[in-house]
Amino acid sequence: MGNNLGVVQIEKNHMPVKIEQNLDGPLGFRSATPYPLPSIITKPIASLFHTTAGRHPPLPHHRRRLPLPLPHHRRSSPPSSHHRRSSTLSAPPPEREGSSLELHRFHHIFLISLTEMAGILKPQSGFVITPHKVSICILLQVYAPSGQYSVPFPFASIAQHNRLGLFLIALTKSCDDILEPTLDEFLKLLKEFGGLLDNWLSDHVTSRLSSLSSPDDLFTFFSELRGILAGPETSIVDDDQINLDPNSNLGMYLRRCLLAFNILSFEGMCHLLTNIKTYCKEAFSCPPYEMSHLDDPTNDLEAPVEYENMDLENFVLQNFTEELESRKRSTERVPFHNHSSKALSSLIEDIMVSPGQKHNHRSAESSQYMISATSALPSAEPSDVILQRTNWQIQGYLSEQAEMIEKLGSSFPMSAFESVLKLLQKVAPELHRVHFLRYLNSLYHDDYPAALENLHRYFDYSAGMEGSDFVPTSFGCTSFGRYEIALLSLGMAHFHFGHPKLALEVLTEAVRVCQQHSDDTCLAYTLTAICNLLSEVGISNMTGIMGTSDSQMTSIGTSLSVQQQLFVLLRRSLKRADSLKLKRLVASNHLAMAKFDLTHVQRPLLSFGPKASILLRTCPTNVCKKLRLSSQLIHQFDNESSVMTIDGALSTSWLKNQRKPTTSLVFPPESGSESNCDTFYSWLQSSSVPGSVLQLVGSSYLVRVTSWELYGSASLARSNALLFATCFADSSSSADLALAYGKLIQHLAVYKGYKEAFVALKIAEAKFLSISKSGILPVKLQLLHERALHRGHLKLAQQICDELGVLASSVAGVDMELKTEASLRCARTLLAANQFSQAASVAHSLFCKCYKYNLHVENATVLLLLAEIHKRSGNAVLGIPYALASLSFCQSFNLDLLRASATLTLAELWLLLGSRHAKRALNLIHGAFPVILGQGGLELKSRAYIAEAKCYLSDLSISVSEDPDIVLDSLRQACEGLDALEYHELAAEACYLMAIVLDKSGQIEQRDEAASRFKEHIIALENPVKPEDPLLNLL
Amino acid sequence: MVKMKKMMSRRDMTYCVAQLTFLSLYSTSHSTFKLATPDRHHTRRRFHFKKKFEYVNTRIPKIPMGVTKENCRNELRTAIRQLTDRCLYSASKWAAEQLVGIEQDPAKYPPSHTRLQRDCSSISRRFRSTGDEITSTPLAGTSYVSTPVPEEDNEDVDSDFYLLAKTYFNCREYRRAAHVLSDQTGKKALFLRCYALYLAGEKRKEEETIELEGPLGKSDAVNSELVSIERDLSAVRKSGTIDPFGLYLYGLVLKQKGNENLARTVLVESVNTYPWNWSAWSELQSLCTTVETLNSLKLNNHWMKDFFLASAYHELRMHNESLANYEYLQATFGYSNYVKAQIAKAQYSLREFEQVEAIFEELLRIDPYRVDDMDMYSNVLYAKECFSGLSYLAHRVFMTDKYRPESCCIIGNYYSLKGLHEKSVMYFRRALKLNKNYLSAWTLMGHEYVEMKNTPAAVDAYRRAVDINPCDYRAWYGLGQAYEMMGMPYYALHYFKKSVNLQPSDSRLWIAMAQCYETEQLRMLEEAIKCYRRAAHCNDREAIALHRLAKLHSELGQSKEAAFYYKKDLERMEDEEREGPNMVEALLFLANHCRAQKKFEEAEAYCTRLLDYNGPEKETAKSLLQAIKFAQSGFPSSDVEHFPS
Repeated sequence: MGNNLGVVQIEKNHMPVKIEQNLDGPLGFRSATPYPLPSIITKPIASLFHTTAGRHPPLPHHRRRLPLPLPHHRRSSPPSSHHRRSSTLSAPPPEREGSSLELHRFHHIFLISLTEMAGILKPQSGFVITPHKVSICILLQVYAPSGQYSVPFPFASIAQHNRLGLFLIALTKSCDDILEPTLDEFLKLLKEFGGLLDNWLSDHVTSRLSSLSSPDDLFTFFSELRGILAGPETSIVDDDQINLDPNSNLGMYLRRCLLAFNILSFEGMCHLLTNIKTYCKEAFSCPPYEMSHLDDPTNDLEAPVEYENMDLENFVLQNFTEELESRKRSTERVPFHNHSSKALSSLIEDIMVSPGQKHNHRSAESSQYMISATSALPSAEPSDVILQRTNWQIQGYLSEQAEMIEKLGSSFPMSAFESVLKLLQKVAPELHRVHFLRYLNSLYHDDYPAALENLHRYFDYSAGMEGSDFVPTSFGCTSFGRYEIALLSLGMAHFHFGHPKLALEVLTEAVRVCQQHSDDTCLAYTLTAICNLLSEVGISNMTGIMGTSDSQMTSIGTSLSVQQQLFVLLRRSLKRADSLKLKRLVASNHLAMAKFDLTHVQRPLLSFGPKASILLRTCPTNVCKKLRLSSQLIHQFDNESSVMTIDGALSTSWLKNQRKPTTSLVFPPESGSESNCDTFYSWLQSSSVPGSVLQLVGSSYLVRVTSWELYGSASLARSNALLFATCFADSSSSADLALAYGKLIQHLAVYKGYKEAFVALKIAEAKFLSISKSGILPVKLQLLHERALHRGHLKLAQQICDELGVLASSVAGVDMELKTEASLRCARTLLAANQFSQAASVAHSLFCKCYKYNLHVENATVLLLLAEIHKRSGNAVLGIPYALASLSFCQSFNLDLLRASATLTLAELWLLLGSRHAKRALNLIHGAFPVILGQGGLELKSRAYIAEAKCYLSDLSISVSEDPDIVLDSLRQACEGLDALEYHELAAEACYLMAIVLDKSGQIEQRDEAASRFKEHIIALENPVKPEDPLLNLL
Repeated sequence: MVKMKKMMSRRDMTYCVAQLTFLSLYSTSHSTFKLATPDRHHTRRRFHFKKKFEYVNTRIPKIPMGVTKENCRNELRTAIRQLTDRCLYSASKWAAEQLVGIEQDPAKYPPSHTRLQRDCSSISRRFRSTGDEITSTPLAGTSYVSTPVPEEDNEDVDSDFYLLAKTYFNCREYRRAAHVLSDQTGKKALFLRCYALYLAGEKRKEEETIELEGPLGKSDAVNSELVSIERDLSAVRKSGTIDPFGLYLYGLVLKQKGNENLARTVLVESVNTYPWNWSAWSELQSLCTTVETLNSLKLNNHWMKDFFLASAYHELRMHNESLANYEYLQATFGYSNYVKAQIAKAQYSLREFEQVEAIFEELLRIDPYRVDDMDMYSNVLYAKECFSGLSYLAHRVFMTDKYRPESCCIIGNYYSLKGLHEKSVMYFRRALKLNKNYLSAWTLMGHEYVEMKNTPAAVDAYRRAVDINPCDYRAWYGLGQAYEMMGMPYYALHYFKKSVNLQPSDSRLWIAMAQCYETEQLRMLEEAIKCYRRAAHCNDREAIALHRLAKLHSELGQSKEAAFYYKKDLERMEDEEREGPNMVEALLFLANHCRAQKKFEEAEAYCTRLLDYNGPEKETAKSLLQAIKFAQSGFPSSDVEHFPS
């Protein structure tokens, strides 16, 4: 029963104080500055706590204890130490990967971990008495008036009484919240809990508060409060008399308040009094003129900051929704792309769901947001809202926000958060963590100078040590800061901004500094960062970079190719992470290895001596193994009891959930899991595994998706994507989620046709409206392009190609994958327009580029396209070698589905050479049929059916007219599939073939039907733009 | 070399190194130096006025009228009375200083009136040999607007309440003063009431900063009176009955509330109607952080504007322009200590320490209890390693007022020179306690920490300096240096770049950057060469750049460029009559190079010069000479090895 809140408090306070003292030495002058020792560990209270915890005799049974109905969440060890330890081990690279397009994407890998490594847990400073605490005390007095009997005055029943107790306990538990509610909010809360009594209670609180008008009133109030505590010596009291057990939660709280009041200086008391006055004033009148915001709203647009509801999260949320709305509004007005032609924009406006996420309207949006913000928000008094919150809370808040930024990326409301940070910085100039948050914020909003500036500022001020997780003893001395982390972060930032060369320089220096200071952990991280850099950046230009960077970091000769260097580096960093027991880093290294294995053929490392015979193929089992190893991470965390909670967070979330059923920020409708009902349990569940781990495991599923897609199992890829979208939606970053959705949509398009795909796209777009650079946009363009190609609307197709190209080379750097995709599609458009030589030249240059950048998987596709071009141009002899080359690429990378389609193309090419080769072609097709029918999409299947039919028709040894069913059935299926795809050209061909077969077998009626359908398709192909197109109106 | 430089470089970075060469230079050629100065001033002045017309293109129609000393004097006298009447003490102090600073004709006045002039005479003889003629006739083209001195309206001059309020104000009972004036309507009363309220708010703010120092190091107490003052003043301004003093106060309030644009407009209004309020000018100056904002101000061309421009130019690091302006002002205000100190400031930024020292010596003689700007003097003394002078200065300011940040800074400098870095840090910290935004103390403390090898603390201190004023290139440089010391040259480059951005004409910054590129970790020699080249163009006093350039080029095998730079270096060393290993190196390289280029005569000349030195070079030179002779005498092979001497 006796809660150990106080004891924990003391422990929590002790530890940071030690750090503080350590910090004092080297930074001499700091001692004078920021953090006065927490008042709570002054001697008297410490002894008080110890006596009550140790010597106090158990209380007799008959005395009525106040209920403690809430389960205490596990608190096996002080949360602070826990947090610290777990963050040392943290290696949660929240990769954003997926799609064959974005296979190597590893962007913000360490940002979370850096947040944690550079993380800060500064000492919690004093428990300051605030107006809100005073009103809780007033309620406490109502709850346990001294000298009253079982059911004191205002209560009608014990149940009612207990209810208030519950409420009070929740309140006291959340006393360490980042922001305290205003009186208004508090009264509202009270109303929800108070039931019948609410009016009486709120009246009582307000009248009591307003009666406190002089320091002496405060004094008497607190001495009255002392009376409701049962003294330790009064072990025998009258029956039924109410007394607050000093060791209970509420008792402890009351004692803390009393202490905090007792140590107040007279000035402090005056300040408390003025604070109470403003607290009341805000509630009862509109803020008077004096209280209005100090900045002139007409001048400084960012200044007006609304703090009326005193809840930062709410505040951000509110601003965020406003930003979202204004974004919507602005994009409504500005259709799609400014530069795109009218026709396109009108079409897209029709066809598209909502013009949400065009980030090039950012400036317009933001300015509009500003205006809307200023007009919407009345100015309010911000000053002493945050001031009284403890450092600890602000730290907690900041790390929460950091996670949010990581998760939401560029959709995080930048300007709103920036203003909060500015305020925080003004209020807490010694809290350097704010700079880091500002860095993160500007990083994710692609503000290069600001990001750089804030990063440097943060590390200059804190030396990377602001209460960080590191243990000073392991270093021997603290005189040197952890500047290697600064280097690592800087390298990652450069990487993020697309400056691989700079990034590599910085990371090399980081390696050097790490070695110099034997910071193994950071070294492991840095190595992994370099691995990511190497694997993501186009390999071709790396040789130059590797040349200039010293070889001591890799300590391998330049004789090895870059892939081999990467491989060696990967293995070494894996080993290092393993030996350092950095679980998350190990897992992420496994993932990186899996990706490497997926796309790179094993080659012997030694260029001389006896070579082990290695098949020049990728090894799917390796990939599988690595993926399994990386997702095993979750079990390790499952076994460990690693609940990281900030004290009071539980009840805070509980209180909040009582107030508003859904708290999720971004996707209000989706987050059913944490809505209303059992918030406790869901909360506990979600905290049993750290979010970063979940994210990592989630990304391993994304890699799975990609790998299955490459290996040609559409169904497995789909199920993995589904799994990701359902299980890891909450924990993963929104970019990851968008990627998974994109995969699912693409799958729908290929296997179900466009109608369904567009419906799904609509849903996804509504969901990711806020994400300016989401993965949804390229998917949309891809779908549109496919559809335009199929319908023969070439002009549109070309325009969409250009759009894709623009998307590929954005401000933040060129996205190689998107770029190859764009030029691939360009070649296909040209092919569809029968401009063979141009298409071939585009494809050729694309091949060269892919070869240069070691994109072998893409190479297989490009070769196949080349074969296709030659096939279409009727030059089968030239096409066959390309098809064969593509086949061998597919073989060595185990790209089964692609291989099947290459085989199909090969068969078509053979068929083109004349009817003599029909047999061979047929054999090839039949060989590929299992994969095609099992995993192939509608188009591939239909193509295979048509090719088969053609083979039969041209094979002189088989008379189709005798047995028309061998072709008719498959042709019919092909027709259906192609109809779904609206692929008029192929559909016409199928109908034509069907008509011929039917004609031969003498089924006149059906022949006519097929012929008329042929005519329909041909007409549709000739007039690609139809006003009554159902899809145009569909969306 | 690098290490040595690091050890030595502090304060104004490489003063010590600089100073050695400096002393050797100017001790020999002092006379030329003196002669050269006035000339240079002339050119500068001309340059300045050309500039000035470019800057100020929108001018209010002005009455062409020369400003005579008598005019100035009369204006200032009235202004002092008016300012004092409104309790704007520091502005009236400033005005009074300038008033006394105007040169008097010694013939007309009794000796007591010209006491200051007599004190100053020595320095004026020393540095201002010419230029007196200009005083009475301002340069053609500058014409001034005459602003009539406003007559005092007598409405509340005699008001008893006003007198009472003023006495309260003088006793620092601000709220009482404001209360007395609460229902007075006159402009003066309104101003004094608002001003008293403002000061009361400021005082409360100071107290609160200490009382409320919360767990987060909160230091941002607000002046709670600002809102009501702003409301009152803006109402008065709207009704059009505001006077220039009210405008000044309004600008002050607006500035504190962060409304800088409006503040600027209001202050411009104020100074245009009443130009003698120096406080208004300096508030305005602090709001002009870029040249563009400065040029966009629509200011009347009063003579006070010259003071303003000079100080603004200085803050914008346009030191030559600022100096020219002050020197022009000196023609009228020849005995103003303020102008002198400002000239010293500008000279200090131009690293003319000799002159700065002379000026301060004079200032101290005239005004022995002056503490303002003395920290700069202590820096100069530090750079010159003048122990006794520095200790004397420290003692003096300590006796005058030990709780001034400047005093603490001077004492810190003294201890630093003594090598007692802990003590010096203590005094810098005291200075910072007295004024948290005391820029140079942060930077100097950073230097101390670098000296103590406490790099994180140094970084922290420098960073604070930079955050107070992002244009402080010294602090940026210090940051870079600290990181370079920690073995993070690439990271350091960021800071050096910042610093070089702010002060592109300073060769030391370029050299530091080049050395960073040169470190064995980076070895980015191409970039290093580029930086050295910039340094060489920027009047590199220590002549490091040329030598390094030559060396790098020869390392990269570009012997032609190397020879070019060696030759330049050689010429320079000859000019400055310096000897040393660099000379030998240059000669040796050039001899070899010329021989390889078959310029035998030149090679011979270098070799013979080499013969003057002892050591192995002499032998090499001998054998080279022989080889050259062989080559010249027509032997096909002229290799030394084949024909040993």
